[in-house]
Amino acid sequence: MEFKDFKTLVAEAAGKAGIGDYELYYASEESTEVEMFNGETTGFTASLTGGVAFRCILSGHMGSAYTQELSGEQAESLVRRAMDNALTLEKEEEAFFAEGGAAYPECERTEMPVLTPEQLTRAAFDANEALKVSHEKITDRCSTQAVTQQSKTCLVNSRGVDLSWNSSVDAVILGAVVSDGTEDNDDFEIKAGDPDSLDLKEAAKKVAARAAAKLGADVAPTGVCPVIFAPEAMYNLLLTFAAAFSAENARKGLSALQGKEGEVIASEIVTLLDDPFYPENPVKRIFDGEGSPTARKEIISGGVLNTLLYDLSTAHAAGKQTTGNASRSSYDSPVSIQPYTLVLAPGRLTEEELLAQCGSGVWIDTLGGMHAGANPISGDFSLQSSGFLVENGEKTAAVRSFTVSGNFFDMLKNITALSDKAVFPRLGLPAVASPAVLVKELTISGK
Amino acid sequence: MISREICAKILEAAVSTGADYAEIFAENSKNHSISMVSGKVDSISDGVVSGAAVRVYKGLRSVMATTVDLSQEGLLRCAKKAAAALGEGKAELSIVLRDRLYTNIHPVRVVPSSAPNREKVEILRTACQGAYDYDKRIRQVTGTFLDVDQNILIANTEGIRATDRRIRTRIAVTALADAKDGGTQTGSCSPGRRMGMELFEKEVDAEAVGREAARQAVVMSEAGYCPAGVMPVAIGNGFGGVIFHEACGHSLEASSVAFGLSQFAGKLGEKIAGEKVTAYDDGTIPNAWGSLNFDDEGTPTRRNVLIENGVLKTYMIDKFNGRRMGLPSTGSSRRESFEYTPTSRMTNTFIGEGPDENEAIIASIDNGLYAAAMGGGSVNPTTGEFNFAVREGYLVRNGKICEPVRGASLVGRGSDVIMNIDMVGKDLLLAEGMCGASSGSIPTCVGQPMIRVSSITVGGR
Repeated sequence: MEFKDFKTLVAEAAGKAGIGDYELYYASEESTEVEMFNGETTGFTASLTGGVAFRCILSGHMGSAYTQELSGEQAESLVRRAMDNALTLEKEEEAFFAEGGAAYPECERTEMPVLTPEQLTRAAFDANEALKVSHEKITDRCSTQAVTQQSKTCLVNSRGVDLSWNSSVDAVILGAVVSDGTEDNDDFEIKAGDPDSLDLKEAAKKVAARAAAKLGADVAPTGVCPVIFAPEAMYNLLLTFAAAFSAENARKGLSALQGKEGEVIASEIVTLLDDPFYPENPVKRIFDGEGSPTARKEIISGGVLNTLLYDLSTAHAAGKQTTGNASRSSYDSPVSIQPYTLVLAPGRLTEEELLAQCGSGVWIDTLGGMHAGANPISGDFSLQSSGFLVENGEKTAAVRSFTVSGNFFDMLKNITALSDKAVFPRLGLPAVASPAVLVKELTISGK
Repeated sequence: MISREICAKILEAAVSTGADYAEIFAENSKNHSISMVSGKVDSISDGVVSGAAVRVYKGLRSVMATTVDLSQEGLLRCAKKAAAALGEGKAELSIVLRDRLYTNIHPVRVVPSSAPNREKVEILRTACQGAYDYDKRIRQVTGTFLDVDQNILIANTEGIRATDRRIRTRIAVTALADAKDGGTQTGSCSPGRRMGMELFEKEVDAEAVGREAARQAVVMSEAGYCPAGVMPVAIGNGFGGVIFHEACGHSLEASSVAFGLSQFAGKLGEKIAGEKVTAYDDGTIPNAWGSLNFDDEGTPTRRNVLIENGVLKTYMIDKFNGRRMGLPSTGSSRRESFEYTPTSRMTNTFIGEGPDENEAIIASIDNGLYAAAMGGGSVNPTTGEFNFAVREGYLVRNGKICEPVRGASLVGRGSDVIMNIDMVGKDLLLAEGMCGASSGSIPTCVGQPMIRVSSITVGGR
């Protein structure tokens, strides 16, 4: 059954049940992916998926339900379940739907072509060929993938909101495995865009060199020292602790930033933006998961917490406007508050000057185990790391299998310098663009 | 679900271009969860997952196509898409399907997807209240009641058509306590089983779940930071088994071993762990969280001895990766849903009982850490580098458990660490978790008795 037919059936079922205020969210995605191991095709996946979420307000509460099965029976079940769920809810905050007639921002879409299986196979093959000659330590155990993905989102509600958004992403993934004969190491790189326009040779060299640099790396020495987080490491830190910027988490007492709007929470050189239209991120949004217009905003301005991120319900409770941060990654995800692309504004120092200011310490470019070793509520972290020692203002020996420990909220206040270039390590939502960040001191646990 | 005749037609379409194996995996599942915050029902997620995947193999190539259209035409389109992606060729297999019935080793008495919300809410409320009542320092409690009712059908060109109904129920409570230095500490407890609402009759006391989460939060609220460095560590039973799951389990999955991307590739028959270590992956434990009657390729699950007295005995293998390895499936193929390509994964993975007394393990440590409860972790199987978090830790001095410490994670390389397991206790216990990898998020158990790792990097401060 097509969405437009299902929509009619749901409207009928809602009408029969006496529900006047409701919303339907439909998301569909078609993707094709080719996987290769050492240049030989091992996997091919063509998926066609999608589903519908229904929400209704009953007794002041927002009930919801979703389904992948679009049938007459499910249309009725969806309405019945959402009503039952609304009547079960007890939270005090009032629920709202977005009102129609809002002005939505202009945003240039990143258009990428729909690729054929042959084009995908060629892209994955070319990526493997590029890896083969990328580095002297490269092995014949590299894998590559090429993917093309088209998605469509529609959101309609009884308040006159009727929105849709199409997007497409093509990407090539290069998985390099290097070896020095005694140990292996791996790393990967994602390049988004029409494969014909991508420089896969350069990407292969970059990822292989990154993996090879850590071969034979020693464990870092235990101690307290200055730490530089490379943009790739900041990606993990900012996304993990972004939960603290959610007004919903603050409401629940699950954010250390609760009640801190207007206060200094970071070093004065820290300015953090949330940008739904960040040019380098092919995934952009002009409306959020509730249908409110999205907007750029400064979360932290010169160290001061300017605003938390809000949806309609939390904004109403706080007497504010929504910041357009109600997120829905798909029809089966609950509406939650998330940033789009978090952009940490760059500073003034070149990378060399940043290293010089660090003097001696550790440069960390890889962090692992974010879901285990970081507590987004308290801010405490103890994370598996790898990177390089910094000695006399220069990156020297590679180090790995150590941990860096501290507290994110303390760390924000102890940022002493930022490099002058923001790097965007990985596409998607949410995402991060960050310079390299020098922190006064953190604990390293190694040998 | 889909009749035998239609399954046969779909498989015929799937092998029409020369595939040497084809499979249908169809699913209709109900996923439900209720969350409570501050003693009030805060959110409910309620959904139906419905669709099918057709997979075909030819030699070492695999093609999968998925659809949410379960009509005969939709399924045939999906099968033809998979066949076309394999290239041009002629059908070489004839399809004869026989219905296969597997013994249900996970009986369920009260199907949770049929229970009204209010019954689940009451259980959840009891659990959350248990946490509040434990100690006045508990300032916030969140809880979730989660149940899944997965109905699947698998049919393949080996002639099997089988269905299963996989039901699981879980409750999770997280308690927050104000720490003595002004921060917040958390504790959590989240038991689950392949059972229905009867889980809360004898197996799980909801109030005790809340109390345990609160106890952990309160202990940690009084803890100072764990020191940093390399030291001996005793790891408690139950979720402590996450060390084996991360440091070794993932690296024994065919998805990395078949491609030579594991520290343990090519090491069958070799000593890879301390000699007191015997480890299992057992998908047959009745009603256990990680158990299945048969895996997601239709192979019955079994009790696999992975390591016996330190010697590597077998890997965990699915059909497709088994082709590359020249080894049969061990009943280890799993996927979150039809939307994920299945691969070799763990079920209930644990270190078996050893010869040592817990008291002797603690007494053997002059200066180290006792990790009484563990959090999650992760691993890179290629390098073996892993990490996992200590949720409840205590310093050990002169063979005695001393003050609690917080904020520690343990890191190292799997091959070093499992070799360093030199004492194994007798109090084997399993604990439930969700494991994420390429084929999605799946329920698994970890487990062990108390063990000692003679030397490991402790990330404190």
